Amino acid sequence: MASITAPLGQAQTTAPGLKVSDFFRWSVDHKIIGIQYMATAIFFFIVGGALAMLIRWELLTPTLDLMQNGEQYNTLFSIHATVMIFLWIIPMFAGFGNYLVPLMLGAKDMAFPWLNAFAFWLIPPAGILLLLGWFVGPAQAGWTSYPPLSTLYSGDGQTLWAMALHLLGISSILGAINFIVTIKNMRPQGMGYWQMPLFVWAILATSIIVVLATPFLAGALTLLILDRVAGTSFFDPANGGDALLWQNVFWFYSHPAVYIMVLPGMGVISELLSVHSRKPIFGYRAIALSSMAIALVGFTVWAHHMFTSLTPELRIPFMVTSMIIAVPTGIKIFSWLGTLWGGKIRFTSAMLFALGFLSMFVIGGISGVMLGSVPVDIHLHDTYFVVSHLHFVLYGGSVFAIFGGIYHWFPKMFGKKLDERLGKLHFALTYVGFFFTFFPQHIAGMLGMPRRVAVYDPQFQQINVIISIASFVLGIATFVLLYNIVVTLIAGKRVGANPWRALTLEWATSSPPPAYNFIGDPVPFEDPYGYGTEESVAYLDALEKRFPPPVDTSATLTRAPQSGD
Amino acid sequence: MQRDLLEQQLSRKELQDLRNKRTGLLIFQISWIMVFVCLVVVNWQLRFVTTTWPPPGVEKLPWTLPTLATGLLLISAFLARRATQAVKENRNAQFLALWRIAIALGIAFVVLMAFEWVTLPYSQTYSDVFRTMTGFHIVHALAIGAFMINIYQGARAGKYGQTNFWPVEGATSLWYFVVVAWILFYVVLYWI
Repeated sequence: MASITAPLGQAQTTAPGLKVSDFFRWSVDHKIIGIQYMATAIFFFIVGGALAMLIRWELLTPTLDLMQNGEQYNTLFSIHATVMIFLWIIPMFAGFGNYLVPLMLGAKDMAFPWLNAFAFWLIPPAGILLLLGWFVGPAQAGWTSYPPLSTLYSGDGQTLWAMALHLLGISSILGAINFIVTIKNMRPQGMGYWQMPLFVWAILATSIIVVLATPFLAGALTLLILDRVAGTSFFDPANGGDALLWQNVFWFYSHPAVYIMVLPGMGVISELLSVHSRKPIFGYRAIALSSMAIALVGFTVWAHHMFTSLTPELRIPFMVTSMIIAVPTGIKIFSWLGTLWGGKIRFTSAMLFALGFLSMFVIGGISGVMLGSVPVDIHLHDTYFVVSHLHFVLYGGSVFAIFGGIYHWFPKMFGKKLDERLGKLHFALTYVGFFFTFFPQHIAGMLGMPRRVAVYDPQFQQINVIISIASFVLGIATFVLLYNIVVTLIAGKRVGANPWRALTLEWATSSPPPAYNFIGDPVPFEDPYGYGTEESVAYLDALEKRFPPPVDTSATLTRAPQSGD
Repeated sequence: MQRDLLEQQLSRKELQDLRNKRTGLLIFQISWIMVFVCLVVVNWQLRFVTTTWPPPGVEKLPWTLPTLATGLLLISAFLARRATQAVKENRNAQFLALWRIAIALGIAFVVLMAFEWVTLPYSQTYSDVFRTMTGFHIVHALAIGAFMINIYQGARAGKYGQTNFWPVEGATSLWYFVVVAWILFYVVLYWI
């Protein structure tokens, strides 16, 4: 029975008076840390995006024009990828997790607030270290940093690159430990694992991958640094080492890392689709367990990145496991479609990005299955097809989910709703720009255009011009979001505590929540996705009464005073 | 009985904190042991690229001193465990006595392994991987050993007792980690 009277405690309804400078200071409040993560990640998104624009500018013509030589171009895409993966997507989702997990669990903070702040504060110095590499002979071995490129040919920036990744890895591990402990120990009464919001399930699955896989990155980076500065020869075949050693250890981390980047996005999508279509999520347990299945099977597929250097008998098992990943992913996709089916869909900006995710991620998933097939991969290895695939998953997947999440939870974080018209413009430009940036790359790749080259066969120029122009549209689209954020923060209208009428616990307190989130212990609604029932309507109405929407002062002012007022 | 006592004497928040710390440390250990597993994988893969291991013309690692060191480390962990039980029962003098010996044995382990580290002649990846593995382990033993010394000083000032034993329990748990990681390396380096 939905009752609001006991559950909510007496949370303050006034917003905490935070200043901008509070976000530049050490704080152990998970909400401030969450926003610190996100703001830092968005900063690096702009840096990585600018590098991407330079890459596309260079590729407008088949010859060198912006860059003086191929090595400069190598640096460009190496740092672009590293920044986007390690300083944008991973910390951005860590930001969402930090902000939302304690709130969704009705907790006052994370299990280890100090550790949480420490994990965040490792990120800015790591980012600076990475970018400083530019001045000491930059890294130019790609984000994958295969030896001997990363041992013999890159400058000292490669060592800084490895040290920066070390810091980021440690930050990830500490963050993940915090998430697991928080989720395991700090759920409220009445919330078993099967009543947790799916975003929390996704963060749990992600954190399990982080704690088990990221140490392998630490191991690999340690060996790389030793080879570069201490004279060891782990990756040098001339002295008894093995170049493939790096690939094995690196991909044992980095393939699971792909799921580190996309599982939280899937969690976001599960929340968005249910709330904005006013329907219970279809296949709750299937979605929750498929996250775990992806996490588990994700550890068995790494060598599909090495099909071309693997002995033939080893290729088949890795092909099979790679294809199996499509099963839990498919379960999610069909569950989401089932959620939408017959729902009262509201085409909010958040929902548009969620739907955009669904369509684009499916394309990325399918091209992934194609690449998982050995004969196809042998043909497409190191071509633009791979570039296309990974961007469909990471941009069409993770970044669309991030954008959707920003529109959805912005009112929670700041008590103001982002402008919907600008949001829709952002979506339209992003969707079209994204599609025409990355879809034609499939074709270029199939025709044989190799990745990671600044000088290419003139026959590919036409398609590259289309790609570059679309990418500039995609770049501009991001500024619509940034403009929207700035304008809303300065002059946006305040909204109520729960503008989307969502049932998960993060909305059962004021927006933004007070220090320590809830006063008293909140009791969750029995089903976090139980939309469309009388109980849920009663619960949401009671919530609205408890945290009423702000009085619209402009309306009050224009109304003529009447007698008896 | 220990648990009942704690529930009587600690607040709900303190109990929650203790539970969080225990879970957190366990997950950290599961996570961090993976770096050691990674180095074991490295060791194994390097074996595949030579015909024999150790490579032709290289002598196998001597095992007597490391075995002695392993024994000392095991005794040290056992004593640390006994010491933790002592502190939980408020037997501070016994704790100090046991903890002191545990630290001394830990130092002996580090000295013996450091000797092995320094004296092994260079033999390309065979010595590289040995030095990386043992070096990485020694760094952990030193860091956690320093923490144990810090706790010893605190205990002399009477900081720990029946309800305030977490730093001791945590240090002991980390010392077990050093032991488990070492056993893994010891078996791989000397016996497989």
